[in-house]
Amino acid sequence: MVSSRRDQLERTLAYLISLAAILLTLFPIVWLLSVSLKTQRDAFAMPPKLIFEPIGDHFLGLLERPGFVEAFMNSVNVTALGVFFAISIAIFASYGIHRFRFRGKKLFGVWLLLAYMLPEFLFIIPMFVLYQRIGWYDTDFGLALVYQVHSLPFAVWLIRSFFKEVPRDLDDAARIDGCNHIRTLRHVYIPMAAPGIAATAILTAIWIWNELTIALSLTFRETQTITVAVASFRGYTSINWGQMAAASIVAILPMLVFAIFAQKYIVKGLTLGSLKG
Amino acid sequence: MPAAARNRVVYFLIAPAVLILAVTSLYPAVFSFALSFFNWNWGVQFDFIGLRNYVDLFRSAEFWQVLYQTFLFAVLATALELVLGVALAVVVDRLKFGQSIIRTLLLTPLMVSGIIVALMSKIVLDPMLGIVNYVLISLGMAPSPFFGTTATAMSTVIMVDAWWQTAFVFIIVLAGLQSLPQEPLEAARVDGADGFQTLFRVKLPMLRTVLFTILIFRTIDTLKVFDIIFGTTGGGPQIATEVMQTLAYRKAFSFLQMSEAMTVMVIFSVIVLAISLVYLRLEERLEED
Repeated sequence: MVSSRRDQLERTLAYLISLAAILLTLFPIVWLLSVSLKTQRDAFAMPPKLIFEPIGDHFLGLLERPGFVEAFMNSVNVTALGVFFAISIAIFASYGIHRFRFRGKKLFGVWLLLAYMLPEFLFIIPMFVLYQRIGWYDTDFGLALVYQVHSLPFAVWLIRSFFKEVPRDLDDAARIDGCNHIRTLRHVYIPMAAPGIAATAILTAIWIWNELTIALSLTFRETQTITVAVASFRGYTSINWGQMAAASIVAILPMLVFAIFAQKYIVKGLTLGSLKG
Repeated sequence: MPAAARNRVVYFLIAPAVLILAVTSLYPAVFSFALSFFNWNWGVQFDFIGLRNYVDLFRSAEFWQVLYQTFLFAVLATALELVLGVALAVVVDRLKFGQSIIRTLLLTPLMVSGIIVALMSKIVLDPMLGIVNYVLISLGMAPSPFFGTTATAMSTVIMVDAWWQTAFVFIIVLAGLQSLPQEPLEAARVDGADGFQTLFRVKLPMLRTVLFTILIFRTIDTLKVFDIIFGTTGGGPQIATEVMQTLAYRKAFSFLQMSEAMTVMVIFSVIVLAISLVYLRLEERLEED
């Protein structure tokens, strides 16, 4: 058949295009990894060296760079705290929106959306002033709290769409069994939507881990995050490519490992949010 | 959806969220708006100056250039990411084997922080020592100064953003394509439509709400661009890639012109929120159709 031959041709072409896209996607990351393992001379060599003797100096050097290890640990703390705030608060709010009619419901929905859309510097400067005054500037707690302006609407929006998937019958059955709202939420909605909640938590964690703009302005010495530490390599005067690349790899790695193990959840979170929002 | 009940309990459920939103969004919005009528540079000077900050901004050529550049970046980056993402989704949707591993690999840029994307692109796109120019020269093409000149810097940051965020469009459109009901596609095939016609006349129109949602998110996100530009050009050369958020950063933290920075952000927020609300309306209408 003519059409099947054309099909075959189209499919081959589809594979070629996909392969090209993968190459373009992965090449910069692979190159970054290679630079992190090269000596300065190898990194600057022209023509570029594809085969080289890898060195671990840049990674070891990071251990001695003041504040780098601390920044990594700070990011772990801030991410954990931020995810905890977002998920625990969003579960209740999502249940409220899903299960009840109330005055100001529409307004609350619009507020969530607009808060999510606000440009960072609108709230960074006022939060900076407030935090300086009450002593929350440069603290994990303060940073994790500011992140909620973005993470909370995102989590409410996603968790709510997962709650919508919970069969009505289960909710009814829980009521008939005499469950109050907290028990229904705990024994029906949370277990049923657990994969969705996990997806939300993962996406929130990725966002917080990778965030720079807010962390740059609201942290100083104590709670510098990993992205701020990586950003400190920017600037044309110090072209320390090796260590800059090593720091970037260290910052990427946790999320990459995360992505490999939690890929199913990530795709679920990203797609359900927009397909059924 | 369960028959929504009226109950006081709901206010306890949403109270923590309302409280946090009040502190992180309502207070800053009111504070910024109020401060935009003062003249405050971190010091003791704190005078009410009415609309002076606004008048000064509207009179400065720099402000209009930065506003224009912000939109230029947003429109071009969003358009590029939408076209590439949809095309890639259509292509990957056709694959029979290895689709899931290909999808995973194509998703990686979304795991990478914007600042790392920026530093990474500075390494590969370095005019003298970068691998990309080396490849271009080897292929007999002209090397590019990339971030180095006012003529090329903007298109380079747009390209970098596309490398980073096309995956977002791709993954959602792919899931959308795969969740389409089969009957309309069958009907189109029976009517003798070829692949292209089915795509443009049936599949993409069926995905219009999804595409629209993606359009909203990418537009707002690109308007708010910061790390990509901060990490590569820092707004330069001169102010060729300066955008609203880098301008606010520079005014607030380099020049300590707090009120001016807040005035910039108040104007910009009004623009962003207006666009969000218009989109929201249009989306409601799309869903009604």
